[in-house]
Amino acid sequence: MKKWIPIASGLLAGFVAATISFADFSTSTNNQAASGSTKSDAEKVYVPFGEKDDYYLFASGGHSGQMFIYGVPSMRHIRTVPVFSQDSATGYGFDEHSKKMMGGYTWGDLHHPAFSETKGDYDGKYMFATDVGNSRAAAMDLETFTVKDIINVPNTSGPHCAAFVTENTEYMFLPTRFAVPIGSDYKPLDEYSQQYRGVMSAVTFDQNQEKLNIAYQVALPPWSYDLSDAGKKSSADWAVMTTYNTEEATTNLEINASQADRDFIVLFNWKELEKMVAEGQYDEVTGQKMIFPEKHKGGIYLVPVAKSPHGVDVTPDGKHFIASGKLAPSMTVFSFDKAFEAVKNQDFSGERNGIPILKYESVMEREVNPENALGPLHTQFDDKGMAYTTMFISSEIVKWDPKTGETLDRIPVQYSPGHSVAAEGDTVSPDGKWLIALNKIAKDSYLSVGPSHPESMQLIDINGKMKVIQSSPVNPEPHYAQIIKADKIKTIEVYPKDENNKLATYKQEDAKIVRNGNEVHVYGIAMRSKFIFDAKAKRPDVIEVNQGDKVFIHLTNTDFDEDITHGFAINSYNLNMEVQPGQTNTLEFTADKAGTFPLYCTNFCSALHQEMTGYFLVKPKN
Amino acid sequence: MKAKKLSLLSSILIALAAVLVVLSLYFPWWQMIFFAPQYPEGLNIIVYPNKLEGEIDIVNGLNHYIGMENFSEENFPELAYLSYLVIGLAVITLLTAILRKKSVLYGLIGLFIIGGSLGAWDLSRALRKFGTNLSPTAPIKIDPFVPPLLGHNTVANFVTESILGYGSYFLIAAFILLLIPLWKDRTR
Ligand SMILES: [Cu+2]
Repeated sequence: MKKWIPIASGLLAGFVAATISFADFSTSTNNQAASGSTKSDAEKVYVPFGEKDDYYLFASGGHSGQMFIYGVPSMRHIRTVPVFSQDSATGYGFDEHSKKMMGGYTWGDLHHPAFSETKGDYDGKYMFATDVGNSRAAAMDLETFTVKDIINVPNTSGPHCAAFVTENTEYMFLPTRFAVPIGSDYKPLDEYSQQYRGVMSAVTFDQNQEKLNIAYQVALPPWSYDLSDAGKKSSADWAVMTTYNTEEATTNLEINASQADRDFIVLFNWKELEKMVAEGQYDEVTGQKMIFPEKHKGGIYLVPVAKSPHGVDVTPDGKHFIASGKLAPSMTVFSFDKAFEAVKNQDFSGERNGIPILKYESVMEREVNPENALGPLHTQFDDKGMAYTTMFISSEIVKWDPKTGETLDRIPVQYSPGHSVAAEGDTVSPDGKWLIALNKIAKDSYLSVGPSHPESMQLIDINGKMKVIQSSPVNPEPHYAQIIKADKIKTIEVYPKDENNKLATYKQEDAKIVRNGNEVHVYGIAMRSKFIFDAKAKRPDVIEVNQGDKVFIHLTNTDFDEDITHGFAINSYNLNMEVQPGQTNTLEFTADKAGTFPLYCTNFCSALHQEMTGYFLVKPKN
Repeated sequence: MKAKKLSLLSSILIALAAVLVVLSLYFPWWQMIFFAPQYPEGLNIIVYPNKLEGEIDIVNGLNHYIGMENFSEENFPELAYLSYLVIGLAVITLLTAILRKKSVLYGLIGLFIIGGSLGAWDLSRALRKFGTNLSPTAPIKIDPFVPPLLGHNTVANFVTESILGYGSYFLIAAFILLLIPLWKDRTR
């Protein structure tokens, strides 16, 4: 017998045994190879109970006036934060602080959320948003996910292309969508070009006082300002925004604002504008420091762009800005360095409304026109600097290389994406894991709810070849969103005791009702499971006033315990507020209705929540 | 014949016991942890010789449902003077180390045993008082109960766990240090 036979059969037997023992014969249908992961789509978005999402998604709620918070990748809705609209779930817009902030408005059109930044990266401290409906800006604290300040911005109407913050949150700029006369005074539309202005506001946020403030304004020409982005790194002192209706049309804009072959990108140096203001190069109008570019020259330039541009986005390295055509089916890559060079050499092709125009050819780097891709709107970036542009009309997202213009990948979405958002996709260091398409239409995607369908967000895995792996119906309108790493946000569990707060009552025996003429101040306590308004009264949970009294209810939640929130509502008085653990909140109103009105805790707090009640008695005037 | 003095090593061990007694003041002596479905992380009552720590307010807030009196430092007058007693004990221990007399050591050990028993009795008295003196008007009626000095107990939806703190272990260690000289300097 040949010597090799036993050796070979031995080896073979060993191999067979090993295969039987260790090989996996299950018929795995692993077709995920392309995406570079062995996880199925379901596994990628499944966040098991006990674990948490990797990212927060802050999505603007458009005309709901609210901000919607989701977890990514699960796409679970975590919280609705009321910003510009009343919200009875949290008593927002009823308690004194939020009522004052809202200043009589009951709704808003929340656009473009923006995180506070440090060195061009999200720092997880604040979220800003603007109101196109009533020209306001708001700042939300990310320790409590509550709005701390809202500012009214005079001289503008509808800050659509805001908020966008500069690299270290020095400013957020609020350019107007609708041009109006200074002070929104009455002026005939025949005098549009002379009397109307597209004012842009430089708003600051004082993080210690948690206060928004207008530093200065710029009286730009009466055009519509659409979208914007701040520079990064070498372009950090600069910002860009798109503008249309340079035709200065005053009616039927659909036609009349779509005539000029070229509109503009406004390129401005905010450091220079800041200097001009410091040197007094401004006019004082309606209480604001107003720069008039035709009078106070410098810092502002126009870059010609294909007509009616929409989005303009700065690349993560800060070297380029990309404008999307909307009506011209292409993206244009511009170079900051080339623009700076042209500014330095005064290489202008002329002036428009007193602002120098840079030559298109001397700033433009390349035009990118993926085949049959229509309606490019907004661009986000991944960790390799690749661009992802939403195509509104052809309902897809196109991945392309800003350095070469080469189309790399495309994926259909359902349907009509406006913005999209990549994980930290507008910072100096995008994460490059997820992209979410914010779709305007979701027809036939979900169970029918009648003629008006929900809008949708679609989660796209961008590791490797793009793939839609999750779709979520959402409240109107997912306009723009930002995604932040979850570990950047440090929330608090309870409000710390503030012994300096004269409105707070921490000890039960200190609860009291103080009358001052026809003003009644209640210093009360909400705790599991009762109210104490007057510790010494026969019925500590009763407030009795006279008809016509001005009533202040300062309520402190003395349950310094995670998640024990109380509510406070008075029957038939259209009043309702929330007091979070440790918080003191105030309700202010006139007791104009005489009668007996039960009051109760609205926020389920404990087994005896149902018993957490009392009476509000209003003695009639005789 | 006069009793021989305790050895130098024994004296050092006794001095070390004095140090441990003082050290125990800075650590909790006893601790009770409350677990419930909505408090999987546990709520603590931590007893130091001179203060209470932990989520006392939250525990009190929950205990009011069963009509239990509030835990507070006012409810434990012992906390006002216990640390002085402990310092006194440390001083006596140090003196014992200096005197190096066996009879004094016997006395000291006796003192430790009496003090320890009194402490345990006081704590169990407090536990009995809190667990059995429930308000008759409480929203939730439960049978009176006495949580153990050490070990588990279940009350309503809460499981309590009573354990010793580092301070108590230091005291026990000190006591053992006092016993060693008895064995080491035993008369053959
Ligand atoms: Cu309540």
